[in-house]
Amino acid sequence: VNYASLCFCQTAFVVDEVSTIVKEAVEGAIGGNAYQHNRVNQWTNNVVEQCLTQLSKLGKPFKYIVMMLAHVIFFHLTLSVPLNSNLHYHAEEWSWFADSLFMFLGQHHRWYDAHRSCTVRWENKSMYCIVSVFGLSI
Amino acid sequence: MDGSELRTNTYLIRPNYQHKFRVGVVEKCIREIQREQLSGVQYVSEEIPSLSLSLANSIKNRLKELGFNRYKLVVQVVIGEQRGEGMKMAARCFWDADTDSYAKDIYVNDSLFCVAAAFGIYYY
Repeated sequence: VNYASLCFCQTAFVVDEVSTIVKEAVEGAIGGNAYQHNRVNQWTNNVVEQCLTQLSKLGKPFKYIVMMLAHVIFFHLTLSVPLNSNLHYHAEEWSWFADSLFMFLGQHHRWYDAHRSCTVRWENKSMYCIVSVFGLSI
Repeated sequence: MDGSELRTNTYLIRPNYQHKFRVGVVEKCIREIQREQLSGVQYVSEEIPSLSLSLANSIKNRLKELGFNRYKLVVQVVIGEQRGEGMKMAARCFWDADTDSYAKDIYVNDSLFCVAAAFGIYYY
């Protein structure tokens, strides 16, 4: 038995573990739903609550900050217009915007000690959401 | 933290009032920095990653100058294009409510919006 790795897991911020928790929380709360303006509040609350309860159950010596951002996709991919160059441009535009949003969030985390934070990006056809978890050891 | 300085134990598990993370002060600081760096700026996608990073760095450095010695600081900056779209941001924290806190501010101009949040976590 590798005791060194056991001890490490019990007191360390393991990114894989945390990102699994986040993904499950998002899938559970939002799942296959499309963007609905009057439900966004409830979804964000549910996701963040679920993440935090699961993280605190891990019992590690960390304080956590969970931040979530849910953004509606402006250009829907399922428009009933013939596929032409305009539609393609629009589709590229939103994904490019999404990528740059994710990129500067990602850069930010790399700067501030990547081992203690985790960012998960989840999307479906009508919205995407980005959840960041910061773990600060006490 | 410098390894070169020898820090003696203070055994403080609660900050003094003067050294507490004061929300009003931090909010004002964030607002100033946002006004300075973002007024009149247009949203240009290639420049935004470095702009948000520099904004986060400025906020972090200014907060360090304010004297929160026992606090770990987390600064998150989100800049997006102003298109009239819907966006929801939420944060929840598992911390000690007596000692830890956060401050946020939102800056909007006609081509972009910027949300900056600074969290202060006391290190016992």
